[in-house]
Amino acid sequence: MDPAPGRSRGMSETLVAAAEEAPREVDLAFDRLYRSSRDDVYAYVAGLLRDRGAAEEVTATAFERAYRKRSRFDPRRGEPRAWLFGIARNAALDELRRRGRHAELTAEPADLGAIGVDDSTEASERRLALAGALASLPARERELIALRFFAGLSNSEIASVLGIGESNAGTRLHRVVTKLREACDEGL
Amino acid sequence: MRAFRDDAELVAELAALRPAPERGFAFELDERVAAGFPRRSRGESPLASLLDRLRETPRRRIVLPAAASALAAVAIATAVVAISQPGGERSAGSKELGALPNPHGSVQFPAPAHRAIAPSSAPSAAAGAASNSGHAAAGSASSQEAEGVAPAPESGPFAVKAPHREVERSAEIVLGADPADVRRDAAKVFDAVHANDGIVLDSSISDGGAGEAAARFSLLIPAGKLGDALADLSRIGEVRARRDTSADITAPIVGLGERLQDSRARIEGLLAQLASAETDAERAAVEVELGAERRQAAALRARLTGLHRRAHLAQVSLRIESGEQASPGGGSGSSWGIGDALHDAGRILAIAAGVTLLALAVLTPLALIALLAWLATRTLLRRGRERALG
Repeated sequence: MDPAPGRSRGMSETLVAAAEEAPREVDLAFDRLYRSSRDDVYAYVAGLLRDRGAAEEVTATAFERAYRKRSRFDPRRGEPRAWLFGIARNAALDELRRRGRHAELTAEPADLGAIGVDDSTEASERRLALAGALASLPARERELIALRFFAGLSNSEIASVLGIGESNAGTRLHRVVTKLREACDEGL
Repeated sequence: MRAFRDDAELVAELAALRPAPERGFAFELDERVAAGFPRRSRGESPLASLLDRLRETPRRRIVLPAAASALAAVAIATAVVAISQPGGERSAGSKELGALPNPHGSVQFPAPAHRAIAPSSAPSAAAGAASNSGHAAAGSASSQEAEGVAPAPESGPFAVKAPHREVERSAEIVLGADPADVRRDAAKVFDAVHANDGIVLDSSISDGGAGEAAARFSLLIPAGKLGDALADLSRIGEVRARRDTSADITAPIVGLGERLQDSRARIEGLLAQLASAETDAERAAVEVELGAERRQAAALRARLTGLHRRAHLAQVSLRIESGEQASPGGGSGSSWGIGDALHDAGRILAIAAGVTLLALAVLTPLALIALLAWLATRTLLRRGRERALG
């Protein structure tokens, strides 16, 4: 039997296909989170592990875990970035445990490429001193620096990732920065 | 010398040291994200894959199927238990045994292994009356559980060492019939009783419509033919209810027999005493005593005879009803009604509650163990991660 005249053909198929192909809200949210956080997560993990290869692997693992758990994320329990960095932190610590050695032992030489060749000698020396001071910090303190200055997390986000109070996070961060400055001064 | 004038300068230098991903890695990760992190199936067990998928699924989407599965499991278990239980086959218009009030609290099938001695001839109606009177006399002693149900003690009032057991049996049957068929069925009852050498002690038949037409019979059936007689009677009409009871009356029979022997011995002694009496006064006193002892012996003999007849003749009460069957749940009608529905619903709910309780009893400790294991693993993992930081 022919369809009634004037009725659009294949409409239901079109609607179903569109509905199936349309990305869900959770996928869109993850995509936004990924685009805004990819480099930050990598910077944090690389700052903590001080190993590019491992940092790439851990970053990919962290995003994959986050992707698998994206439907379970509950916005009432915290910010998406803090949730993502919590996953990345666990992945990085798992990597450290897997290796059975601390980040210091796996440290690569300071990335001299990051130190501009056009900089003045004094600036280069300062940057080398800072890199050395950073490398000399314990992993726990270096993690704070990585979260705050490499990944750009706020104190409240750091507190959420580390599972500590916000004021505690601020205090710890202040102490680490002070320690870093002193280490740089000694290095020069 | 100070490396940095202030924190801002330090922070600016730290930003310059920020590691950046290489283009190749970033491009590759972008592609994997766009593809939705396709699974690498190689080397992954089906169980691990299933667990991964479960982990990915939001909890609220797991709760409903899990609850539905649990409910289905309870329903299946309830159905299995309900069907496997004896009361599970109960249905509308059942011809199975009904629920007659049972003063002895026992229903026994089949007949006891040690039967009473079958009577050689059909007893008279008077014997039945005597049996009835004897029933009252020895009722308390004979209200024991069925023979063989409870282990007999080594000594006591159960006559354990009796050469054979004397068992009193009785039965009640309720038959259903159409009002027009009550008389015809009553005639069949007479035929069945006579065919089994039984006695109709009394009977009454009333005509009328449904519920009014009825017949009642008090029967005595030789104990040895009780099974056959009940089978014949059950074939007459729809069996709405039936109850068989039995009681071991060996102990009172043995006791009465012993007392009767004592009494006879005393009578013989008194007779000898009477023969040797020398004075009238002495003779008169012995005669008084002898008369009393003879009356005592006669009473004992009558009671013993009554007990023997109760063992040899089973009492059967038969009722033919017309109209609808009275349901034990308070509802009326032979068809399945509200009362039956409530009864069945209550039973099914009780079974479901029992199944749930059992499942909880089994699952709760397991869940607690799993929870503790999960907490311990989680704590150890967390500590291990923190230790990795040094």
